[in-house]
Amino acid sequence: MALLYGLLWRLLLVLVHANRALVSWLRVRLRSWKGRLWERTMAALVLPSALARFPDHQKKLNHNNPDANANPVNRTASRRSRWLSDGRSLEKLPVHIGLLVAEEEPSYTDIANLVVWCMAVGISYVSVYDNHGIFRKNNSRMLEEIVKQQQDLLGVDGSKYNVEFLSNGSDKHQHHVVSCRPTVKVLSPEDGKQTIVQAAQQLCRSVENKERSSKDISVSMLDILLRESKNIPDPELVVKFGPVDSTLGFLPWHIRLTEFISLPSHRNVSYEDLLGALQQYSACQQRLGQ
Amino acid sequence: MSWIREGELNLLEKISANILKAGPMPKHVAFIMDGNRRFARKKHMERQEGHMQGFNKLAETLRWCKHLNIQEVTVYAFSIENFKRTQDEVDGLMELAKQKFVKLLEERDNLEKHGVCIRVLGDLNMLPLDLQQLIAKAVVTTKAHNKCFLNVCFAYTSRYEITNAVREMAWGVEQGLIKASDVSEALLSECLYSNNSPNPDLLIRTSGEVRLSDFLLWQTSHSCLVFQSVLWPEYSFWNLCEAILQYQLNYKTIQVRLIIDTVCLLSPILETALQKVYKDISEYDVIISLGFIKQIP
Repeated sequence: MALLYGLLWRLLLVLVHANRALVSWLRVRLRSWKGRLWERTMAALVLPSALARFPDHQKKLNHNNPDANANPVNRTASRRSRWLSDGRSLEKLPVHIGLLVAEEEPSYTDIANLVVWCMAVGISYVSVYDNHGIFRKNNSRMLEEIVKQQQDLLGVDGSKYNVEFLSNGSDKHQHHVVSCRPTVKVLSPEDGKQTIVQAAQQLCRSVENKERSSKDISVSMLDILLRESKNIPDPELVVKFGPVDSTLGFLPWHIRLTEFISLPSHRNVSYEDLLGALQQYSACQQRLGQ
Repeated sequence: MSWIREGELNLLEKISANILKAGPMPKHVAFIMDGNRRFARKKHMERQEGHMQGFNKLAETLRWCKHLNIQEVTVYAFSIENFKRTQDEVDGLMELAKQKFVKLLEERDNLEKHGVCIRVLGDLNMLPLDLQQLIAKAVVTTKAHNKCFLNVCFAYTSRYEITNAVREMAWGVEQGLIKASDVSEALLSECLYSNNSPNPDLLIRTSGEVRLSDFLLWQTSHSCLVFQSVLWPEYSFWNLCEAILQYQLNYKTIQVRLIIDTVCLLSPILETALQKVYKDISEYDVIISLGFIKQIP
């Protein structure tokens, strides 16, 4: 009997995987099937779980691609203004967005694209995270790629979008706190629990040195310590790329009110995918306990 | 209504449960029971009635978990942020809680029979004194039970929990019990309200919201998160099965990540230990030699 149930369970997993593969195949095909209503209806009938995702595609397909201009300068300028107006048209835009890459072997170009789009749409702070700390180890390569994509997508005159790159524990940017330039931060698992532990050690040391009492330790005190020197707000939105349904250690303290939106993959991600996630975010209502 | 629901699953539910149990099952599931007020609005009921239905659904869910061999359940009953609600609603919820804990104490024989251990996590000193006393009685009465565990988060937020743990460690330093250098991730985990429980394997939030709302932020860093759009009072056995299936689909990936992350965390320690014997070893060598872990399918 146990054997039978075991087989049935494996069959169930196979069916679910097949369903998912079919849905993602259809999603890719749907991008080029602009008018074939009957095929979309059939797909929606066959895969009820996919139905929820297709309305987003409708929105994306109605979003015309006016990049037919021959002149590259005009193209980047029109792209910039389009992205900026997209950001303005949303009911609310996150001030700080997190990009959580839960896939093996990340693609730097795609991440850089995402970062540039986020900034172009009007998001001030972008944090990039992967749970192996690969981005942190290859910090310089990531930053080079971002600068390169900035040039490609936004044109040479991207001076408005000069990006500030924060590395862990750098205090020299303190005087830039008033600047309105977008900021990119590269995070790794060390910025999560380990940072909380370090803050705890700092507080315990000050208690050891009789500089304060244990009773003085409050949520706001710990919060200030964990906010570093930049006063960056908590991420309002984290877009997660990859099939893993977990935060994988991303900034535990900071995500208390963060909305999580999942996209299947960051590889070959399109601007429309990101915009869809931002639209979904703008529809979320936070009651803050009330 | 009672905390413990008797009754077997029907045939179809039983078969589905047995199929799921053939795969890896979560041992500890956490629920954010969201959607009571929206349910009340939808059914044109009073809010208080919505919360009552929510409690009934909790009792029902515990019955399903028992049949699915899920030993530990943690639920988010009342957040510190919920004190911001209208006085009427807060009073109503406190009154509901009092009634339920009185009922729980009446059922202590049944609880003993099923071996249910109740724990209440949170900043309980924020609650009315009579409720605190009831909670204390319930917790002490069921302390020795060990077949299944229900953790109710009441007057709880994760940030308060973490801060409290830091304060406890600081108190330990003040009393000379530990040194500041003893503070570590493991020690902090031991000082949390949830120190008697393993980390949740699966976190389920109902009503379609996709955030954690200050719930178990430390403990769920590697948990499978499932967000379901059904309102809590309408939660069904099939919703639970769907969530468990998602856990099973994520199981291997999350386990592998957990192991790799633990290895990476430990590798500097191993490096230091091994360096005492082999002078030239590096962190890279340690990870490569432990590289067999990467071959986990």
